Amino acid sequence: MTAARPRALLADDEPLLRDSLERLLAKVWPELDVVAMARNGREAIDLFEAHRPDVCFLDVQMPGKTGVEAASHIGRRAHLVFVTAFDEYAVAAFAHGVLDYLVKPVEPARLAETVTRVQERLRNAQPAHTEALLAELAARLQKVSAVGPLRWLRASVGQTVHLIPVEAVDFLRSDQKYTVVAWRDDARRPREAVIRMPLKDLGAQLDAAQFAQVHRSVVVNLSSIDRVVRGANETADIHLKGRDDVLPVSRNYLHLFRQM
Amino acid sequence: MAVTASSVRLRGITSLLSGPRVLLAVGVPALFGGLSGLLAGAPAISVTIGHAVVMGVAATLAFEWLERRPKRLPAALPRWILQLVGVVVAVPVGVLLPHFVHMGVDIHAAHEQAQLLSLGFVAFGGLLFAPWIALGAMVRQRDVFVRDQALKFELQRSELERKALDARLRLLQAQVEPHFLFNTLANVQALVDVGSPQAPKVLASLIAYLRAAVPRMQEPGTTLGQELELVRAYLDLMKMRMPDRLDFGLQADTAARAQLCPPMTLLTLVENAIRHGIDPCEEGGRIDIEIRSSDGRCSIRVTDTGLGLASSGSSLGTGLATLRERLQLAFGGDARFDLRTVEPHGVCAEIDLPARQATQ
Repeated sequence: MTAARPRALLADDEPLLRDSLERLLAKVWPELDVVAMARNGREAIDLFEAHRPDVCFLDVQMPGKTGVEAASHIGRRAHLVFVTAFDEYAVAAFAHGVLDYLVKPVEPARLAETVTRVQERLRNAQPAHTEALLAELAARLQKVSAVGPLRWLRASVGQTVHLIPVEAVDFLRSDQKYTVVAWRDDARRPREAVIRMPLKDLGAQLDAAQFAQVHRSVVVNLSSIDRVVRGANETADIHLKGRDDVLPVSRNYLHLFRQM
Repeated sequence: MAVTASSVRLRGITSLLSGPRVLLAVGVPALFGGLSGLLAGAPAISVTIGHAVVMGVAATLAFEWLERRPKRLPAALPRWILQLVGVVVAVPVGVLLPHFVHMGVDIHAAHEQAQLLSLGFVAFGGLLFAPWIALGAMVRQRDVFVRDQALKFELQRSELERKALDARLRLLQAQVEPHFLFNTLANVQALVDVGSPQAPKVLASLIAYLRAAVPRMQEPGTTLGQELELVRAYLDLMKMRMPDRLDFGLQADTAARAQLCPPMTLLTLVENAIRHGIDPCEEGGRIDIEIRSSDGRCSIRVTDTGLGLASSGSSLGTGLATLRERLQLAFGGDARFDLRTVEPHGVCAEIDLPARQATQ
């Protein structure tokens, strides 16, 4: 009756935890046949396609593709059990849903409960999870590593790529397809570097409370401004602290510097 | 005189002659001119007053203009001397200019003896008093400047104190991540379950890591030697968790081990390399830590061959930004912290500190 044995895939990037789960499952669910072990989300997908197991135990945080991404790929073709270390966002999502999940370190009693539930579902044929829930879970995980305003600029000085903290940037000036970054090193010396990204795209990722566009081709760090001198014809010049550069302010942006 | 000064631009003048200075430039000479006129018995006292006022304005403009121009002076010529000379020159010019105008209007009245006498009084008085008034103005200005500076320093100091407190609070918040802790504990449990002889060693590493990673606020600095032990414990734990994906090497001068640094300096760099370089990379990679001291400097270099910066989101940075801030607070502008990408992929973080040894 080997054909009737349920088959499982285990995915975790940490080998000790993979082995440990396999051992625990052997005790709690002796008839389960673990047919594949994956080390990351991509392998989980490949091995799922190769073996078509009935149950997948997926670690949530894995390199490359996450467990949730692998789950979205597998969809309703297998029963899914997520395994996660403490992670309040993910756990909240699981707890509100009907998804099965285990928290690391896995307790045998808790595993036995989950196994009972999965066995029941196997008998009733249809996996219980929904796509909507998975999408929500993926969104939650995304939010944890959400992209806020840029904190570091990657810019080249000669052959070297530097990571420049945005607060060390005095201003950005567009130079055809590139952007010139004027910044200060840790000794506060003024320096320049180049980013292969147009100013338009770069400016959009900066914190608007800290950086202001003052000209079609200039974005300035407001805290680097020493003074703004009005010129003729509705323009002005920005003088910077400890830098000789003078930046133009064009008419469209002059309203930023009206007196209080 | 107003024509000469207009090179400072029109709005320059309005800003030059403002508030109390206008009062000084017009009021005092007016009073003085009136007095001179009366003493000399000049027939048109208003004319003398007019002359005196023009003189006063001329002297004030000279004083103020030379306060700003020329922008650079030879070292041998202090600005205050230039200003005094300017005032002394401006006084006779300021008297003669209206006198020429007066001559043009009515040469007889302008050359009456009483009128000339009163002008003499005005010019003499101007030469006598204007330099003192100018000196007084300079002293007062210096007072205001000194008070301004003191206020600025005070502000800067409180700002620094606030920043130091902020950095410490953030360090406190950046405690051991639950995700790391529970994952590691799960590994330890796995080892214990199978009775692995590795288990006690791993537990010892975890304890060493936790003891150091729970921040101790009262300690302003640790030594790189202590940091190295902490990092070794951390890397041993990570190596247990991802044996097939992590390799590492530690190299440090004996001399560099006594170097003082803010707590968690090295750990922040290494944790960052794991979190953003090695962990998200399917193949993993290698972390190399090199610590060298030479010529009164100490350099710390952490290089990883992980994913690099391409795919890390904004979460990269919180720890590093805090570290940068703490280095600035501890060493002022004398600490350098540089991050650069490594070919073909990976990141190299380098810190360069002035040598500061623990005293014991």
